[in-house]
Amino acid sequence: MEIFFQQLANGLTVGSIYALIALGYTMVYGILKLINFAHGDLAVLGAFIGLTVITSLTGAGAAPSHWVVILAFVVAVLVVAIAGVLLELTAYRPLRHAHRLSAVVSALGASMLLENGIMLIWSPQTLTFPEGILPSTNYVIGGVVLNSTQILIVAISFLLMLALYLYVNKTRFGTAIRASAIDQDAARLMGINVNRVIVSVFILGPALGAIGGLFIGIYYRQAVFDMGWIYGLNAFIAAIIGGIGNIPGAMLGGLLLGLFNSLAGGYISSTWQEAITFALLILILLVRPTGILGERVAEKV
Amino acid sequence: MFKLKTLVAATAISLGMSATAMAAGTVTFGVQAPITGQYANEGQGIEKAVKLLAKQLNDKGGLLGKTVKVVSCDDEGKATQGALCARNLSNQNVFAVIGTYTSGAAGAAQPIYARANILQTSDGTAEQLTQHGYKLFFRNAPPNSAEAKFTGEYLVKGKHYKRIAVLSDHSSFSKGLGDAVDEAVKKEGGNVVFRGYINAGSQDYRSVLTTVKSKNPDVIYFSGYYSDGGLLRSQEKDLDINADFVGGDANQNVKFAQIAGQAATGTVIVNVPAPENLPYKEAKDFLADYKSMYGELPPSIFTLTNADGMRAIVKAVEATKSFDPNKVADYLHNLRNFPGITGPMGFDKHGERLGSAFQAFEIQPDGSYKTVYPTH
Repeated sequence: MEIFFQQLANGLTVGSIYALIALGYTMVYGILKLINFAHGDLAVLGAFIGLTVITSLTGAGAAPSHWVVILAFVVAVLVVAIAGVLLELTAYRPLRHAHRLSAVVSALGASMLLENGIMLIWSPQTLTFPEGILPSTNYVIGGVVLNSTQILIVAISFLLMLALYLYVNKTRFGTAIRASAIDQDAARLMGINVNRVIVSVFILGPALGAIGGLFIGIYYRQAVFDMGWIYGLNAFIAAIIGGIGNIPGAMLGGLLLGLFNSLAGGYISSTWQEAITFALLILILLVRPTGILGERVAEKV
Repeated sequence: MFKLKTLVAATAISLGMSATAMAAGTVTFGVQAPITGQYANEGQGIEKAVKLLAKQLNDKGGLLGKTVKVVSCDDEGKATQGALCARNLSNQNVFAVIGTYTSGAAGAAQPIYARANILQTSDGTAEQLTQHGYKLFFRNAPPNSAEAKFTGEYLVKGKHYKRIAVLSDHSSFSKGLGDAVDEAVKKEGGNVVFRGYINAGSQDYRSVLTTVKSKNPDVIYFSGYYSDGGLLRSQEKDLDINADFVGGDANQNVKFAQIAGQAATGTVIVNVPAPENLPYKEAKDFLADYKSMYGELPPSIFTLTNADGMRAIVKAVEATKSFDPNKVADYLHNLRNFPGITGPMGFDKHGERLGSAFQAFEIQPDGSYKTVYPTH
């Protein structure tokens, strides 16, 4: 039983990171019906920028101070949000009324551009994060080992998701976002500036992605330029499992994916871990083609 | 008309390439290595070492009077890219190819070089690389079996571990080494309580480690690469697993300790000695030259075994006064006690390296290595 709960704790941490990144896919899809394939790379960009802030402000071997860590998150979020907006303006907006495939190709191109850009700026090698960015103490509760980094990652992710949920559902601008997701033309007739809504989605999604990316770097203590592909793919699957376009769905999908990955790796086979995950995706889509929460269109964003 | 002329000229050049390459006074060495990607560190080291050796040869007047030229191809450590590189380098009429780092990419390239009559020397340690009967292939690092035999002895007789867990990734190198260690441990009378796999590069190994924990091992042996090994070690500590950690040779890289962080201390790595711990004069000279050219030390011993592969080929060319790959190969198959950077070496008739001493090193708090086995 201890092992089971240990696997749950492991899965929950990864799952909450997937969920953070999945939100970016789902929000963009909700409004533009576009899969932003560059989103995984935006998250990785966040990891690299955070790392640069931390290493340039901290001496070698020393643990970074709280202020440096907070600054790293703030700078990563700002830069990646700006990158997200630029991406929208240059790669997606000119193709808004073009064929759907053109936008997909543009998204894939943007992904390669970002990935190779990161490689050129930060080198193709694996970069390591210093220790002690977030406190790392082991707590043993009933045989289950919980690391304080894990706890912080899960807690911050949940807070951010809650904040996003409240923002979208309880504020005036959130209502505009939901309205644009349902019908852009009608929203425009109601006086909503849909372009502003779209830009806001390209700020919020990448900002959350940047935090997710920085969490990956801190949790695994390394960053490679091409890791956006695998994390992007996993987050994309998470968004689909939950019902793409649906914000609570992305959160649920991320957590489920993390948990399932962890349990499959622990109980069935670590070799087939990823294959089993894809089998789950197919199974869910067969039973519920719109994802677990997909049919609640009124809430989709 | 102009185009036609160029075409004729190009055809003439390509037809007469092998002859003109000799006559024109250049000899080309190919480097096939993972210059980008997961093992970029290692690949760049190999490329730098070959360029350094080429420069040294050219400074002395070349090889048999010919200028040594180096062309590189990045195989990203992948088998598919390895095959593409082999075609690419074959088309450039290289005389010999140094590299590559991963057994998968080396194996994919082997038949192509063999058909093109090109010498190849790789550090790939998967057993089968020397079992295909390719006459022009020379392994410059000891194979998995030599390492596995030593590791089994170290775990069972040296440390008296009672419950041993063996982890690998799915690369041909890591799986081969893991299987061989599993076998060697059992042969020594040891007890393997867990044999499992990770997916290299997936970064999260907590689920398999949690399963390992339930088997209560006193040591975890990992036969994969440093980037995963460092993560395994740090996640092992995150999960409060108290087992020692012993890593195979591909864990020996400065990045291992950076990734594992504080958890690196006390980790043991089985390998031939680290570059800076090599006692030989050839090693000290080469390291000094490498450092003065690049301002850094080579990333790992594999930079140096590949350099030794190239040095052995150069030695054979000089001794036979010939660029005939078959003559050079015949000489190499009988080479004994050649003073290599990584120790006295030679090759048997299968192209297998002769002469190597494995050691077990413990990582110290300052990141340096201390030999803990054999104790003499």
